[in-house]
Formats: sequence, C-alpha cells, structure tokens
Amino acid sequence: MTQDLRYSALKKTPFHSRTSMASRTNKYYNWNGYTVPTEYSTTELEYTAARNGTSVMDLTPMGKYEITGDHAHRFVDYLVTRDLSEMKDNTVAYIIWCNEDGKVIDDGTIFKFSSTKFMLCCAVKIYNWLNDSAYGFDVSISDVTDTIAALAIQGPTSCSTLKKFGAEDLEKLKPFEMREYKIDGFDILISRTGFTGDLGYELWTDPKNAEATWDNIEIAGKELKLRPFGMNALEMTRIEAGFIQTNTDFMAAEDSLRPTRMRSPYEIGMGWLVHLNKNSYFVGKKALKKEKEESTTERCLVGLDIDGDKPAHGSVIYNSKKEDIGIVTAALWSPIMKKNIALASLKRPYGIKIKENIFAEIYHPEELEYRKIWARCKVVKRQFFNPERRNKVPADLYE
Amino acid sequence: MSDNSNFDAIIIGGGHNGLVCANILARKNKRVLICEARKECGGMVNNEITNYVPPVTTAVSSSLGGMQVNYLPKTTIALSETGQHIRLVGNQHIDHKSISTFSSQDADRFNDFHEKMSKFSKTLGSFMMASPPRIMNNSFSDYFKLFKLGLNVRLLGKKNFNEFARMIGLNIADELEDNFENTLLQGLIAHDSVIGSNLGPRSPGSLINLLYRMAIHNNSLFGGIFQIEGGNDQFTKHLIEKCKSNNVEIKTSASVKNCIVEDDCAVGVELINGEKVYAKKIISNVDPRSTYFSLLGSQNLDTDVKRKIKHHRSKGRVAKLILDLNKLPSFNNCDDIDLDSRMVVAPSIDYIEETFNPSKFDKLSLEPTLEICVKKDSDQNPKLDIQVQYAPYKTDQGWENVKENYIESIIKIISKYAPNINECIEHKKLITPDDIELEYNVSGGHWHHGEIQIDQLFMMRPIPGASQYKTHLDGLFMCGAGTHPGGGLTGISGKNAAKAVLDDF
Repeated sequence: MTQDLRYSALKKTPFHSRTSMASRTNKYYNWNGYTVPTEYSTTELEYTAARNGTSVMDLTPMGKYEITGDHAHRFVDYLVTRDLSEMKDNTVAYIIWCNEDGKVIDDGTIFKFSSTKFMLCCAVKIYNWLNDSAYGFDVSISDVTDTIAALAIQGPTSCSTLKKFGAEDLEKLKPFEMREYKIDGFDILISRTGFTGDLGYELWTDPKNAEATWDNIEIAGKELKLRPFGMNALEMTRIEAGFIQTNTDFMAAEDSLRPTRMRSPYEIGMGWLVHLNKNSYFVGKKALKKEKEESTTERCLVGLDIDGDKPAHGSVIYNSKKEDIGIVTAALWSPIMKKNIALASLKRPYGIKIKENIFAEIYHPEELEYRKIWARCKVVKRQFFNPERRNKVPADLYE
Repeated sequence: MSDNSNFDAIIIGGGHNGLVCANILARKNKRVLICEARKECGGMVNNEITNYVPPVTTAVSSSLGGMQVNYLPKTTIALSETGQHIRLVGNQHIDHKSISTFSSQDADRFNDFHEKMSKFSKTLGSFMMASPPRIMNNSFSDYFKLFKLGLNVRLLGKKNFNEFARMIGLNIADELEDNFENTLLQGLIAHDSVIGSNLGPRSPGSLINLLYRMAIHNNSLFGGIFQIEGGNDQFTKHLIEKCKSNNVEIKTSASVKNCIVEDDCAVGVELINGEKVYAKKIISNVDPRSTYFSLLGSQNLDTDVKRKIKHHRSKGRVAKLILDLNKLPSFNNCDDIDLDSRMVVAPSIDYIEETFNPSKFDKLSLEPTLEICVKKDSDQNPKLDIQVQYAPYKTDQGWENVKENYIESIIKIISKYAPNINECIEHKKLITPDDIELEYNVSGGHWHHGEIQIDQLFMMRPIPGASQYKTHLDGLFMCGAGTHPGGGLTGISGKNAAKAVLDDF
C-alpha cells in the first residue's frame, strides 16, 4: 500500500479503510509503527463476539520475518529453546527465544513451509537479533511485515464463517496446522492458531487482497455474530487463556534497562518450552542449563483466583505476614468464568510451594476516590479458560 | 600411532605460546598432543617474521625448568637523512649524552619522561603477568584483583595518579610534542608506540600502546630490545627440544578442522584428513576469531558472543620486506656496530601520521615507516629484513597489482640512507598481512592475534566473558596471543593458560 510517509507519523495497515469505517469510537494505538484500533464500539461487546460468535482483528502490525535458505531448519532450531528438529511441514509451533544469559527476549509462532522456508511472527521487531544470530548459517532473513496482510478470525463460529468465505474442509485442520487456499484468485494461508484460547484461525494474504478479504469475511459472518474486535478485547481473552504478553507480564531481555528485571523461561511459566536435551546448541542453552542445575530460578508466573469482583490491576501481592511477595501483571473480572482472575509474578517459593494465604491489595477507583480492598487469593492454573471446542477436530460448525 | 583417547590435553597450533603451555602441562604429568597445521612448529616466531624480541620473564622460564637461550641486547638508531642519527641503548647516562648533542633540553626531559613512563608501565606490568580478573562472573577474587590494580594506580601518589588518568586515553603525539623539540626523537618514540597496531601517533589510545610495549620490554623504552643468539627460531627449537624430553607428542601438517563437541563440551578435535583425536581438555593457540568461528563453530555460539567476536579487531598493518644482498650497502654515517642495531626510519610524527592516513582507506603510502634489521642467511650472505608499518590488510587495487611498486617505493626510501642499496640487491620478497594470514593461519594477519587497544586488553581480551583463557565452550581453552596479555615473544599467555587448564582438571 503506498502512502506518503512524510506527513504521517504512523503507517496504516492494508485494512485501514475497513477498520476505520467500523470504528465508532476513534480509539487507536501505535503497534509497531502502525495505527490500529483499541476498540471499535465497546470492549464488552467485542469480547462477547469473541466468546460467542466470530471476532475479526487486524494483525498486520505483528512482526513477520521470512527465514529461507539451506540451513533454515537448523537455524530456527538454534534460535529457539524448543526442540523443533522433528517439526513437520505446514505446521506451526509456539516458541520463545532467549539471549545468552537465558533471559527471554520474546515469544511468538514459527510457521514451517518446508525445511528451507519458515516464517516467524512475534509482537515486537527483532530483525537485528535474527540477523546477528544467523551469522554462520546459510540463511537469509527478510522482514515481510509490510508485505503480508494478516487477520485473526477467532471464536466458536469462526470455522463456519471461514467455510462460508471459501475455505473448504477447514474443520479438518488440526490445531497448529496450516493450509494454503486459493480464494478469488488470491493465495490465502490459513493457520489454526490464535491468541484468544478458543477455536480460531489466522489468515495471511497479499495486501492487495486485504480489503476484498475483509468485505467477504464480513458477508460470510453476517449470520454468525461476526464483529471486528480491537486490542482491549483481545487483552481480556488472552488473560482468560493464560497467554503471556511481552513487556506486560515480563520485560523483554533486549528492552529492560535493569538486569534484575530480565526473566528466564522458568520464571514466566515457559519452562515447558525449554528442551535442554536438544541435540544441538541453542542460544541461551548454557545459561539455562546452569539455572536448572543450580536451581537459581527466583520467580514464577502464576494464575490467581481472587476473592470479590474488583479487578486487581497492578496490585502488590503479600503473604500473611504482609511481606511483599510479588505483583499482578494482568487482571480482569472474567465475564465467561464469572471469576476475578489475574496473572501474577511471585517470588518463589510463593506460587510453587506456598499457594495459600496470599493476599492482593486492590485499589478500586470509585469516582476520584480509591477503595482499598484486602483480598484473599488462591494460586491456580494460569490457563483459566480452556473450552473443549478449542482443540476439537473436526471443528464445530454452525449454520 | 597414538592412542586416540588417552591424551589429557590437545593443543591446536604449535606457536610459541602453545609450546610453552604444552611443556608446563607435560611437566605436571599430563599427556599432551600438539596439532600443528604447518610443516613445523614455531608459528610466527622465526627468522622471517620476527626481528626483535622482548626477554622472557623469569616466571615463564622457571615454569619451564629454565630456558637456555642467549639474549643479545640491541641498540636503536633513528636514521636521519643528514646523517645526524640518534643512537639509544637504554642506559640513562649514555642516552642522555647521545640526545644532548642535539638538544640538552630534550636530554633532560627524556630522562624525566622515561622515569614517568617506566613507573606507569611497572604498575600495568604487575597486572599483566597474571591471569586477568573476569568481570562477568561476580566472584570475590576477581573483584579483588581489579581493586588491586586500582589501588596500585592510586598508590602512585596523587600527582602520578592524575597524570596516569590523563595519559590513559591520550595520543602519543601530544605527549611527545609537549616534551621534546627534536622531531627525530619524537618520530622514534612515536614509531615504537604504534608499531604493530592500527593506530597513528595522533590516534587516541596510542600512548597506552607504548606503556604496554614497555611493560614487556623490561619497563624500558629502548633497553629491553633483544635478538636471540643464533636466530630467533632458537627460541622455538629450544622449546621443541623440551617437548621431546617432556614426552609431548607433536603432529605436524595436522590441520584441525573443528572441535568435537559432545554434550556442550569440547572432547576432541577432528583433523582435515578426517582423523579424530580425543582428550580431556582442548587448548587453542589459534587467534580468537578462528577459534570461535572455525573450531567452535557459529552454531555453538550465543548471539551476543558472535557479535563480540565479529567486532574483535584483528587486521594486521605490518608487511615484511626481505632483501637478499650480495654485499652490505653502506649506510650514511654508520659503522659496523650501527649496522648491528635496530635502524628505524621515522623522521617525525607527521611523517608517521601521513603514512598511516592512506592505510585507513586501504591505500598504500609511498613513504612508509620502516624498521630495518641486518641479518645473515645460512650461507653468511647479508640480507635486510625490513618491517614496513601501515601496509593495509587489503589494498583497494589488490596486493598482486601493487606489490612491485610498493617494494620499489620502500627501496627508494632506504636509498636515502644507503645510496648504493640498489646495486646490492639480489632478491626481493614482500610478505603482506594477507600473506601472513594464509601462511600462518592467523585471521587478519595480525602479529598479536588482535589489536592491543584499551577495549581489547586485560579482562576484555579477547572479548568480555572469555578472558582467563576460557572460551564459551566448556573444555575449550585459549592460550594464544589473542588472550591476555597477548603479543610479543613472552610466553605469558601460554603459561597462564596452562595454569587455568590445570586448575580445571
């Protein structure tokens, strides 16, 4: 999309003509240099569409990097902590990657087209990191953020919407698989991935095809409770799903100024993505091995079930002796769970061995006055919401 | 055939540091194998590359059980076109007398300057001989070492401390111009400050280069410069003999392809011919860049380590011109003793700086700075062995196209001091930095396996996190000139590395 950047601070995505038409509130924010809506109408309504119908979100600003070359598979396996040596073609994997101190830089998804072609998606820009890491590997890395238009199509009726849109047999696609379609003469890649913890898909296509795709999906979803949704509603769904957000739930190692703020995968509940027995070396392996062997992990990221109905935004967490043991990184009153939930970073052994007698100090704003609430919390699984339909194959279909 | 699994240590590269390290390990009853890629050990310590050497320290020679080599002290002469050469031997009284024939002010100031520099180089030197602290592992003893250096500097007294702080990042040209009026003397000291480096006399940091040089040359400007009786290769010959008596096994023409890594630990080496040899410890005497990118392999390195090694500066700027002669040319106003001295062509600071300038742009200077050494070949025929400063690693026109012209321009310079040089020459050979790289497997062709500059010294040598002779891979050590203190025929790197390896057994 051509755009005169001299007079515009932020770029517009290829869906901008459509997203701006749908916006009733004119609330936008800056995501990787693009302007995208935080809210179209009301966050609650958008959230409801995501949990009961189909929600559509413009994902274009997400960092997208194509990794090609003879060593592409070896390089990707070297870059991330997870063992990807057995990864199959046309599948997607959730990954994290660390620096040399074994501190997490970011999380994201990796798409494998073939052993010589991958695509990496993540929230922030990491081109320099990829390029510097690739030294010595026969790969080339290109930033394709601008050249691929992306949409998230999430919710229980999302499969039906996309089938009507023209994605045949989509219900047979398993979670973390992807398939290429040709719809209206354009190549469209659909992957069964998402950030809402529900049945959902992500769609990747040429920016020239963006507006037509938006329009056709809107038509396809008309009877299926389709609604565009913005960042605020996504934030609600991702907390319910227990997904972490870089620079919200933990500081990215490359961004944090204070070394003590950097987090290892074990400190943010991502230990399951670290495969120390991987045959080859990966960035941060030495440090992570040491951390594991010497048990020097200091913190943990847990789910909290909090008494009452007032969300514990930014609350400090205390033990029964009123000692500071951590902080809430994300919180909400979950409409679907009817629970007051939060993600919290705690100092071990709290959250691991000690799960009871933990308290949140909540400051609830009430028209320019704060009400201070001392609420009891219970440490629970971070994945608060995990419906059966999320991983069901074939996926549920609706008329 | 050697038993493939029974070695305690394999040393990759039989340069002098590797040989020192091997002997110390062998004296502690370790079974050591040296894999040398070339036909013979010794690396760059031979009669072709090395002209003058610093003395080996008693710490190194005693850990080897004594070194039976004879060091011959050498005088330095700054050649002048007018024949008014300056001769310095490193003795306070003689040098004072020598300089006072040009300027009595310079002679007095030279003594003061020498005393000050000597004091500072001693302070640095005490820090240079031992293993440097490691700044990235938060250990008490490392902080203590760092504290001790700080304390030593502070104990110089307030005045000296301030002077030291002023000088640490200073360029040598400013300091010399403040002190001396004779341009030839300025040029000579400036030459010794920048020799072997990528700095000009006006480059910041060129002064610490001189302190560093003094620290390994007996804390003296011109008094610690030697040749070894019988040729500099006597040093390596002696070490190789020691290897034999200490049962160190040496494989020559055995180029190592890479380290064998098992379970994130170096366990052996694979040779180019496919042969695999295993040992408990692997020690690389190869330069840091090759150690990391070739032996260790970039697939075994963290991204930050790759970044640091990529930034490691190791491009050499010294070429060697060897002129075989049928007779010795007559140098203006030089007698036989003068011809046995180190003859330096660096008439002024500006001359050196102008030589340096084109090299920044990969261009050649047609008036290079020279250090001339008269040697005899095996048939007792004389030859001139000339060190040519600021020959770029690569030239923009390609070395093969400009070599002849470059040789002629060097000879033209020499003819100013020895007018009949042309009729004496039988054969000419120019060794450029990229020749050194190819012949001696040193990436960049740098004498010291990496620039001697403040960001690549002490605990930052070769890179932060890899000092103390350890690499980022367990079981793989470094003992070459790329490690602290690096450079010069001192063997300190090899000795310190041996200690680090023994501590790890």
